[in-house]
Amino acid sequence: MEIDSEKIHERKQSDYNSLQDERFEIQKEMYRGQQYSQIYFARLHLMRTLLYSLAPTWKSHLPVCKVLGLEKGKECIIVGTLFKHMKLKPCVLDEYSKERSVTPLVKPHNFMHPDDNLILEDESGRVKLAGSALSPAIYVTGVVVALHGKETNAGEFFVEDVLEAGLPPQIERPIDLQEDKYVVLLSGLCIGSKSANPLQFQLLVDHITGHLGDEEEQGLAAQIVHVVIAGNSFEFPRKLINGQNLASKDQSTLYEPIKELDIMLSQIAAGVSVDIMPGTNDPANFALPQQPLNRCLFPGSSPYNTFRSCTNPHSFDVDNIRFLGTSGQNIDDLGKYSEAKSKLDFVERTLRWRHLAPTAPNTLGCYPFTDRDPFLIETCPHVYFVGNQDKYDNRLIKGSEGQLVRLICIPKFCETGIAVAVNLRNLECHTLSFSTQINQS
Amino acid sequence: MATTAKNLKGFYKQTKSNITGGISKSKPSSRKVAPKHAAAQGSDVTQPAALISHGSVDLNEDYDKEEEMLRQFDMNITYGPCLGMTRLDRWQRAVRLGMNPPNEIEKLLKTGKVQQDCLWQGRV
Repeated sequence: MEIDSEKIHERKQSDYNSLQDERFEIQKEMYRGQQYSQIYFARLHLMRTLLYSLAPTWKSHLPVCKVLGLEKGKECIIVGTLFKHMKLKPCVLDEYSKERSVTPLVKPHNFMHPDDNLILEDESGRVKLAGSALSPAIYVTGVVVALHGKETNAGEFFVEDVLEAGLPPQIERPIDLQEDKYVVLLSGLCIGSKSANPLQFQLLVDHITGHLGDEEEQGLAAQIVHVVIAGNSFEFPRKLINGQNLASKDQSTLYEPIKELDIMLSQIAAGVSVDIMPGTNDPANFALPQQPLNRCLFPGSSPYNTFRSCTNPHSFDVDNIRFLGTSGQNIDDLGKYSEAKSKLDFVERTLRWRHLAPTAPNTLGCYPFTDRDPFLIETCPHVYFVGNQDKYDNRLIKGSEGQLVRLICIPKFCETGIAVAVNLRNLECHTLSFSTQINQS
Repeated sequence: MATTAKNLKGFYKQTKSNITGGISKSKPSSRKVAPKHAAAQGSDVTQPAALISHGSVDLNEDYDKEEEMLRQFDMNITYGPCLGMTRLDRWQRAVRLGMNPPNEIEKLLKTGKVQQDCLWQGRV
């Protein structure tokens, strides 16, 4: 009887590139005292050019004008940035006055109110919007849309129809992939927090590297070609981050999670290429786009050329399948200022608005770019993922020009023990679930 | 420092030149009285407060039609906000966004003899 079989599983190979991430890097940017008007201008200009080109196919008989050019009773199309006036939106002055508190001041919940109203703004002026075609519950500040309607006697713009930019053009997916290849997505490891179970993550690493299971299991693991960790890999004890100098025993508490993650990452990097993205709780900058975690945090993993520290948002190609994803801040912010039946609705909306984070810089921290808005989605991804969500969910959406996108909400690994595997051949995904509970019956 | 005080008073009374950019070409309407003690050249020439750049009173005659042309470029709303960018950066952004800004502006900025920062830089 053979105990060990002769078969050696070779991991499948794939092409990888992340050239699109250049747009999210800010090393070359120089701050010259600019304010956010520049990024809003770039966003409005680029989106307006696009919407002007779509307007004739939408409603060809109507003239297009600026907000200042509106005349009472004249039906026309206007294009501008939406601003949602919200009664309950927290004021920045409150946060400033209690800056030194240890826990975040504003509890994340929804700031919506029935009295919220929308205003359309362009460089010439702003106009209040009326009518039920545009629901304030769905839209947020920062979305650029085209509106068909007319100015009322009250000086408001009565909206009859809305045109969103829609899904961007997509490069065709290669259809000749013969074999199943998987990309594993996970997020919310929260190493260092009390709720994180190190055994669960170790099981995942062992599965990915092929140290778990029988031959069939190893065969499945050999089909994994790439791993992405989408943010919140750390959770530092909050009481240590209060601006005081740390005692030396506290210092080791602070970098224990980092050492632990480095050990695990080096195990993964030895076998498969892995990308790590920063998240809200990670030691990276606060404002989007978050810059890659410093390589000196990972002395064990960074020598591997399979290890990549990436920006948040992160965009990459594997075998010409375009992936785009964030660590969740964009969707969480939408969840505070608008409503939807499921998180995937938010994700789909950002794609149809062609903007990853429309609430930046209004309520989401953002770098004040002057000449571009890096969050505009110019090419439609094939897989669009969002990390650190409460539960796993996925949806396949279709665009008007035949685009096909798989939307994925990645749950927090520390709470659910679930990672997501996406099949490059057909964009289907399934979960990898690790449980360490032993049922006592 | 009576001279400085008078300059500042004149500064605050002034109306700003051409905010709407490109539509009206009128010169600033109110005059600032050139103080007697200042070493002003051509003291009967209208000196709008906009000359006070970077905290010092700019009293020489280099405020000429080239600077005027650059200021019109700054105030032109189609090219977006001007604060926080150098004029050349803003011109290059306008080119990248396909707005076809006039080439003379670029030539002027590249000569290096004109102010690289926009009209309001350092003052707002």
